[in-house]
Amino acid sequence: MTISEQTKIELRELMSRYPQSRSALLPMLHLVQSVEGYVSQEGIEVCAVEVGLSTAEVSAVASFYTMFKRYPVGKHHIGVCTNSMCALLGGDNIWRTLSKELDAGHDETTADSMFTLERIECQAACTHAPVMTVNWEFMDDMTEQKAAQVVSDLRAGKDLQATRGAKVRTFKDVQRTIAGFDDGLVDEPSIDASMLAGLNEFKNSTKGGK
Amino acid sequence: MVEIPQVIRAFGTTFLNMFKKPITEQYPEEKHLYPPKPRFHGRHQLNRYADGLEKCIGCELCAWACPADAIYVEGEENTDEERFSPGERFGKVYQINYLRCIMCGLCIEACPTRALTMTNEFELADDERGKLIYEKSDLLAPLLPGMAPAPHSMVEGFTDRDYYSGKVTGATPKQIEEAGN
Amino acid sequence: MTILANSNQPKSNDNDLITAVIDGIAVRVPKGTLAIRAAEMLGIEIPRFCDHPALSPVAACRMCLVEIEGMPKPQPSCAITLTEGMQVKTQNSSQVASSAQEGVMEFLLLNHPLDCPTCDKGGECPLQNQAMSNGRADSRFEGTKRNFQKAININAQVLLDRERCVSCARCTRFADEIAGDPSLELLERGAKQQVGVADDQPFESYYSGNTVQICPVGALTSAAYRFRARPFDLVSSESVCEHCASGCSLRTDSRRGKVLRRLAGDDSEVNEEWNCDKGRFAFRHLMQDRITTPLVREHGELRPASWPEAIRYAAEGLRNQRAAVLAGGRLTLEDAYAYSRFARVALGTNNVDFRNRTASSEEQDFLTNHVAGTGLGVTYQDLEDAQVVVVIGFEPEEESPIIMLRLRKAVRNKTLKVIAIDSANSLGFKKLNADLRLTKPGNESAAISELIKDLQDQNSIILVGERLASSHGAFSATVAVAEKVGARIGWVPRRAGERAAVDAGLLPNLLPAGRKVFEPRDREVVASAWGVSVEHIPTKPGLTQLEIISSAVQGEIDAIVTAGVDINDVANHAAFAAALNKTFVVSLENRASSVIEFADVVLPVGAITERAGTFVDWEGRLRTFDAVMQESLALTDARVLHLIAIELGHTFKDDAKVTSLRSSYSSLGAVSKPGTMNLVAASTTKTGLVLAGWHHLLDNGSLQAGEPHLAATARAVVAKVSSETAQANGLISGNRVIVRSKLGAITLPLEISEVAPETIWLPLNSEGSSVAMQLQIDIGAEVSVSDGGAI
Repeated sequence: MTISEQTKIELRELMSRYPQSRSALLPMLHLVQSVEGYVSQEGIEVCAVEVGLSTAEVSAVASFYTMFKRYPVGKHHIGVCTNSMCALLGGDNIWRTLSKELDAGHDETTADSMFTLERIECQAACTHAPVMTVNWEFMDDMTEQKAAQVVSDLRAGKDLQATRGAKVRTFKDVQRTIAGFDDGLVDEPSIDASMLAGLNEFKNSTKGGK
Repeated sequence: MVEIPQVIRAFGTTFLNMFKKPITEQYPEEKHLYPPKPRFHGRHQLNRYADGLEKCIGCELCAWACPADAIYVEGEENTDEERFSPGERFGKVYQINYLRCIMCGLCIEACPTRALTMTNEFELADDERGKLIYEKSDLLAPLLPGMAPAPHSMVEGFTDRDYYSGKVTGATPKQIEEAGN
Repeated sequence: MTILANSNQPKSNDNDLITAVIDGIAVRVPKGTLAIRAAEMLGIEIPRFCDHPALSPVAACRMCLVEIEGMPKPQPSCAITLTEGMQVKTQNSSQVASSAQEGVMEFLLLNHPLDCPTCDKGGECPLQNQAMSNGRADSRFEGTKRNFQKAININAQVLLDRERCVSCARCTRFADEIAGDPSLELLERGAKQQVGVADDQPFESYYSGNTVQICPVGALTSAAYRFRARPFDLVSSESVCEHCASGCSLRTDSRRGKVLRRLAGDDSEVNEEWNCDKGRFAFRHLMQDRITTPLVREHGELRPASWPEAIRYAAEGLRNQRAAVLAGGRLTLEDAYAYSRFARVALGTNNVDFRNRTASSEEQDFLTNHVAGTGLGVTYQDLEDAQVVVVIGFEPEEESPIIMLRLRKAVRNKTLKVIAIDSANSLGFKKLNADLRLTKPGNESAAISELIKDLQDQNSIILVGERLASSHGAFSATVAVAEKVGARIGWVPRRAGERAAVDAGLLPNLLPAGRKVFEPRDREVVASAWGVSVEHIPTKPGLTQLEIISSAVQGEIDAIVTAGVDINDVANHAAFAAALNKTFVVSLENRASSVIEFADVVLPVGAITERAGTFVDWEGRLRTFDAVMQESLALTDARVLHLIAIELGHTFKDDAKVTSLRSSYSSLGAVSKPGTMNLVAASTTKTGLVLAGWHHLLDNGSLQAGEPHLAATARAVVAKVSSETAQANGLISGNRVIVRSKLGAITLPLEISEVAPETIWLPLNSEGSSVAMQLQIDIGAEVSVSDGGAI
């Protein structure tokens, strides 16, 4: 695969959004992932040329952040939070189930290139622990059964909604959104009452005090 | 009392000794009547692993430890084509000058791979100074059964770590073939 | 105790001083001083790995933790600037600091392999030393250390062992901040963090060897020195680099009379603590192809001879002949001085020239009046302090790499602007962010005249290179501009001995120390320093190298004395060969050269490591050095010339030993009043396609012989033209291009680049592109080009 001229134009557009073009490197690498499915060597070289850095410098950035993948990711990226809160509430079991189901370990892709599985760190959604992400969309309050269902639905090509309502797309599509291009989905719901519970509790308790 | 003349007394001593058992050692014709003690510091030896690779890595710690400046070492890099020791480095030049060596054994203590030990060999005399600088070829341990002379590759699948921990037991057919070539 | 600012400290006056207390000792230092620097000044040594005075602080290794009153946790002293009244306690007075350091050391050693016996750093390793001085006696770690593939090449001459790395980021900071080649980076994160290069790009830098020297562990080692020796085997000597006019101070390490490695010496006024890879790695020429005995020609063949025989033979060949001296550009000041004297007194001629390269009478006039005997002129520090530096006919990175580092330092500090007048863009110009005025060779003088508006009311310096000699009127234009705007001029030759040769009077119109042949008073001063009668100094100006060659071909010169001359360095080498063939040639050399086959007597002299001497760097700074091989019996050029002179019946005041020549030269003093050169107008603009080029730092130069690791890091050899020129001449990027002169052709891959109009750029002496030998023309000459087809 090669980076097209159209992509290069978009890379430059990202650069133009910042006073210093190298500030755009992170979104640019996400855009590369949206085209290539991972941060390819060619993508690194193109970014380096565009922002005027050495390929070593771009490689350093690309290898530092775990959201940049250096090997092709499956059509869908599935993250299972295994930090302490989620792990205790069932995350470890979900991880084991999915890992067995998909026959893939951490940061590994299934043989059919459908899924890439990753143990992820805290997503700041402990309210809904255990959580899982599909292409970085939240799947809240997971169980082993629900997780397995998500996987089989995706495999069957069914339309799937994240638990908070957003439409589940592919890894590449979502990377384009992360890179900073409008996907028209800005009004999709992303928050619910239980996420706001703590805030409401705080507001209620301080109302009397002040 | 008549004094026995001095000269006869002296011969008397000689005469009496004729009946005593002689204690003369027939060295060098008879060598091993009185072998040195096991921990006697004799000539050095550069040891090999069980497959014949050399233990010396050319690190020069022996030379560093030597209080008499008797040891000279030059290291070199092992290559895939020519391997003398496991790991990256081997001793290309190894000389001990026995005109300087005081047999103190500090070099043995310094050696990190037990490549250098001392034998009980004590016959270190010669008729020329140059001959008393022993080269690596003079110091290398003899090849025992099961060893193949270096250079040859390491036992397949083994790392230098395995060599250090004593996992190698002998040369493989592949090593013997390489050594033969 | 008050410590005043030195050059590495922020400039300050008394009001900017603050008082802090380190280990109970009050110290007054300039604001902004780092705690670790202040402690150093007090003689308190805080252990460190990542800290380096020339690199920006990162506090990456955490080894220098100290306790600071009022702060809850130990702080890295390499990144804490002292404030008024700050109380710092190092490991010497604080248990907190000391156990913090021990803890850090224990962490650093978790993953560090126990392979000190095979590691080249063993014995001179800060990690070993500080583990002993500031570490625990044992480790509590029982897990498995991380494993990487052992040494991998990050370029042909630097090896990386990632297991040994402590992630101090000294090498990556050096690459980015000092060298400006940021292709070495810290990759990955956390436990996997490692130094590395990108998949497609090795660490391409002319300064890569410095990373080996500043690595505080054995993670970066040199391929050429790999497993060669231990520190205790080595005899270290201070020396001076013989490769270019930068004048770097070096440390030469030898074992049993053999040079095994060279390191950059520490000299804050010149090379700070860096040097280039050529100076560091190209030293096999000191030992390779050496001539060990005098040779004399008999029945057409050179045969070994005794010294007395060879000296007598040389003297007989030179006696009462019309002679000349061609002395190369690699001599020490003392040797150059001896050649200058030998030519005048023993040979009775002013036919002497050191310029074995493109030269012009305008350049000679410039050197005579603005360089010779002027002593220390523009300095490295001046470059750093200037507002504008103009480089003309001089690519700093390729032709004097330490100047490049100094300029870049000032450019990074945003205090300096660099303007370049040259024929093509280059990596060096880009790193300097230079305002490049692309100029077709020959048109420099017009571009120089336009500098006036840039330099008005600026503290400016103009650096001119030896290539400018090929451009008519350029030196004149430079001098005119400099006078008008009050700029100072620095002349930067490429070879290490050229400045010394000018100062020693190895030019047909010059005597030593800027004295002039045609000035009776100057002749008297020089004659009295030499201890000869003034009649012995010829009054008639002599011939230049070009004239000597053509006169010899015509039979008007009978004998030539050569030293360190390669006939293949000059475009008219065919005529040069013919001239040597026709004359009686006395060659003073230390290794086989292109002159030997023409020589009638070859007299072996010592290599630069075998004798003392002085190089004069481009600043005019005397760089005096002692012999590395103290026990060497090799003779200097000066001693050999002295012996021939005695044989010819001439004696001098001194014995031609290095020290006596040195004092004889310095007794001449500096020139009292510099002259002014005759300004010449530029000739008419050249039309048609012309040749441009310069020497790559790493090329086929004879002092780089026998260095495969170094040669592998040379830059790609390509011809460069602008896209307009390519179009006009039917050249295709990526194809080969054939460049033709009347006498030969060069075929190289073509690269479209920023090049002056109607100009094709070639490296002058690289593999497959030896302009002097193949094209036999100088830069600025007309060439024709054609497409050479696909590669």
